[in-house]
Amino acid sequence: MKKKNFRFYLRLYGKILAQDLKSKMSYRADFIISTIGMIATNIAGFVSFWILFRNFPTVNGWGYYEMLFLYGFSLVALTPVQCFFDNNWSLRMYVRDGSFIKYCFRPVNLFFYFQSEVFDIKGLGQLAFGIGTLVYSWTKLAIAVTPLAILKTILFLITASLVMVALQNAAAATCFWITNSFYVLDLVLRFKDYAKYPITIFTPVFRFVFTFVIPIAFIAYYPSLIILRPDDVGVLTWISPLVGGLLFYASYRFWMYGAMKYSGTGF
Amino acid sequence: MEPVLQMKHITKEFKVLNRREGVKGTLKDLFSRDYKILRAVDDISMDISRGEIVGYLGPNGAGKSTTIKMMTGVLEPTSGEILVGGNVPYKHRTKNAQEIGVVFGQRSQLWWSLPLIESFKILKDIYQIETKDYNDMLELYASLVNMDEIIKKPVRQMSLGQRTLSDILAAFLHNPKMVFLDEPTIGLDVSMKARIRTLIHALNKEKQTTVILTTHDMGDVDALCRRIVIIDHGKMLYDNDIEHLKQFFGAYRTLKLRPFGDRSDAEEKIKATVTDASVSSDDDWISVLVDESKTGVMKVLGQIQEIVKIKDMQLEEISTEEVIKKIYEGGPITQ
Amino acid sequence: MNLKKYVALTKAGIMENLTYRLSTFIMIVGNMLYLLVAYFLWKAIYASSGTDYVNGMSFYDTLIYLTLATALFTFMEMYIVWEIGRNIQSGQIVRDLLIPMDYRRYLFWSYSGSLVTHFVFTFIPTFIVICIVTHGAIPFGWNLPLFMLSVVMAVSINNSIDFFVGGICLYTESIWGINIMKQVLVALFSGATIPIAFFPEPLKTITLHLPFQAIYNTPLNILLGKSGDMAETFTGLGFQLLWCVVMTLISRGFWNFSIRRVTVNGG
Repeated sequence: MKKKNFRFYLRLYGKILAQDLKSKMSYRADFIISTIGMIATNIAGFVSFWILFRNFPTVNGWGYYEMLFLYGFSLVALTPVQCFFDNNWSLRMYVRDGSFIKYCFRPVNLFFYFQSEVFDIKGLGQLAFGIGTLVYSWTKLAIAVTPLAILKTILFLITASLVMVALQNAAAATCFWITNSFYVLDLVLRFKDYAKYPITIFTPVFRFVFTFVIPIAFIAYYPSLIILRPDDVGVLTWISPLVGGLLFYASYRFWMYGAMKYSGTGF
Repeated sequence: MEPVLQMKHITKEFKVLNRREGVKGTLKDLFSRDYKILRAVDDISMDISRGEIVGYLGPNGAGKSTTIKMMTGVLEPTSGEILVGGNVPYKHRTKNAQEIGVVFGQRSQLWWSLPLIESFKILKDIYQIETKDYNDMLELYASLVNMDEIIKKPVRQMSLGQRTLSDILAAFLHNPKMVFLDEPTIGLDVSMKARIRTLIHALNKEKQTTVILTTHDMGDVDALCRRIVIIDHGKMLYDNDIEHLKQFFGAYRTLKLRPFGDRSDAEEKIKATVTDASVSSDDDWISVLVDESKTGVMKVLGQIQEIVKIKDMQLEEISTEEVIKKIYEGGPITQ
Repeated sequence: MNLKKYVALTKAGIMENLTYRLSTFIMIVGNMLYLLVAYFLWKAIYASSGTDYVNGMSFYDTLIYLTLATALFTFMEMYIVWEIGRNIQSGQIVRDLLIPMDYRRYLFWSYSGSLVTHFVFTFIPTFIVICIVTHGAIPFGWNLPLFMLSVVMAVSINNSIDFFVGGICLYTESIWGINIMKQVLVALFSGATIPIAFFPEPLKTITLHLPFQAIYNTPLNILLGKSGDMAETFTGLGFQLLWCVVMTLISRGFWNFSIRRVTVNGG
């Protein structure tokens, strides 16, 4: 047996993805309606945002375009979790009816194999919307476009994505113990919505919680500071790429640990 | 023969919550700490050699799935030793997975919306099958089943029979040392059952693949297995040749009857009259299992003739089905 | 109508919902956490706005409106369209239609256990906590029974919308697309995400003429006593009743028509 390295997994994922896309495109009506649904979701999200800021022009010293930047940033950062890790939402059903076991029989990494099964193309609309919002607010804020700024943005977008993926992995993996992880996932989903608010609006207790316990502040706030408030960047922003990586790894270990101790229902 | 699978004194225990009934009970359970230990597999040992087809039998909840899960490395035994092709399955799950094939449960393990051939290609990559071996295998498949009707079809559009067939082909694709098949013919029609059995038999012969088969269909056992292992309540009840097993019931004969008139009515009458034999029926025949060490077949037939008009009759050796039933019910086993 | 079999279905649903006990605790704790965060978030937003009233809504009004809207959503959203969708895709629906019970009723009552569970474990705790936190901003009087009456009608309207959308699913393969559009429309126009009082003028008028606002906006306004005098309260209830009847008729008619078509075509 040859060693299965990163390249092996990347190639495998590419092949599965290509096949999956091909079969999805063959259901034309579904594809079109889903696309419309996806656009509607994003428009509705934006309309809510817009209505809210018509009534409250500033939040804790953050202006409309700054908030829009945070909003766009979190949209882009949430794309990978939507596209590549959507099967996490089905995990609890596989665990409950015992069919999760079918993933355990292949000689590849269990986590990879499970997540590779679903690629959610609908996340791409969110990506486009998010990038649009980001670019729009960027120009309105008249922030200088330098290669370094773009590089920083990309790095911190990746960081934010890793944090979000980590949160969702951990939430989904709780089903290995409690079987129905819906409420945990739902809670993470709700908190994810708070990621687009500047953490400073919360009391110190919540600032602490959102930084160290449920680290949603790393999804948009800390990373965005580097672009929005370059003079105001604290140590938490600088270490956030590291935090992102660590959180992702920890969530992966947690997921695998749960899967390994999982015994299936019935015997 | 080298053993492909070795199990020594394997035991597996689970901790389960004692549940109460009703809405009230469910509410109470929210705070309950009332656990009990359930021993699903209790001190099981066996060796299985290359090329064997072993029927692994037992009533529902006997511990079959738990055993299979330990063999495939999904579960770690509470105690005991287990080796599959020299690997300890739960310690080296992926390495073990390379050497085995599994068809387990009702849900297909293939990619639901992909045509079968694309699933095969992905499996070729996952198991790192050499192109030549892969092509040889596909050629072999083409000689055994009609591949044209399934190869381009997405799994979600297949009939249950085609899906089972595809899953079995996929399990043998990387030429594993051992294949586990869980209820491969459940829910299939008679002709599909026969096709599946022929396929399993042929692949076992051709590649000397060891097959472990769990089933409730004695037709599968008769068609495929020389050796059977029976467990119940986690304990091993029997492990030997099927012929050997039948010898224990040598004194048993099955008297099969077809009455004039209503069958279930006749069955009731026979049950009431013949007290020292067990009576059952299927679509065609009423079966009376007679223990000749206690009473004679002719005597029983005489009794029946007095109350039921018989159209047709046969005398048979005890069937596998009835042997297994006897064992589940706690019949005489002295190994 | 044999009430016993419906009660049996509800009971089974309650038991199924409580089987996974850790998950039940998380549902309760998670909801409290969410209330805490919502409290601080809106407090901060109001604090930075500089005024006590925004569009006639005080901080407490907004807090009560949004948290109770979320709590109502949690117990009213039964994910029935997903269930219909799954049943259509798996072909299960053909078997379900053979059950000696009206399919719509069967589905509703199967899910009613979940409704009851969520009412007890999320809505009531939320209501109590919010009452305490806002120091009696919710008036206690005739508005409470009228609110309950309004909620019952809201459940009916929501259910009618679900089955109308479920009917559309019988024609298209696109379960996800249709469903997400429904969720987005309902969430935005019912006032579940943002109080309708915040909407800008033309949008507000349009929204008030749609059936969606009768799901969350009407009961919540009755509860808050926002509609002022009794006459307005009863106008609200009257409109709700009208929508209730209209939606039931449309949804029932469309569903029965569609089912007949599907059965004729053999699914």
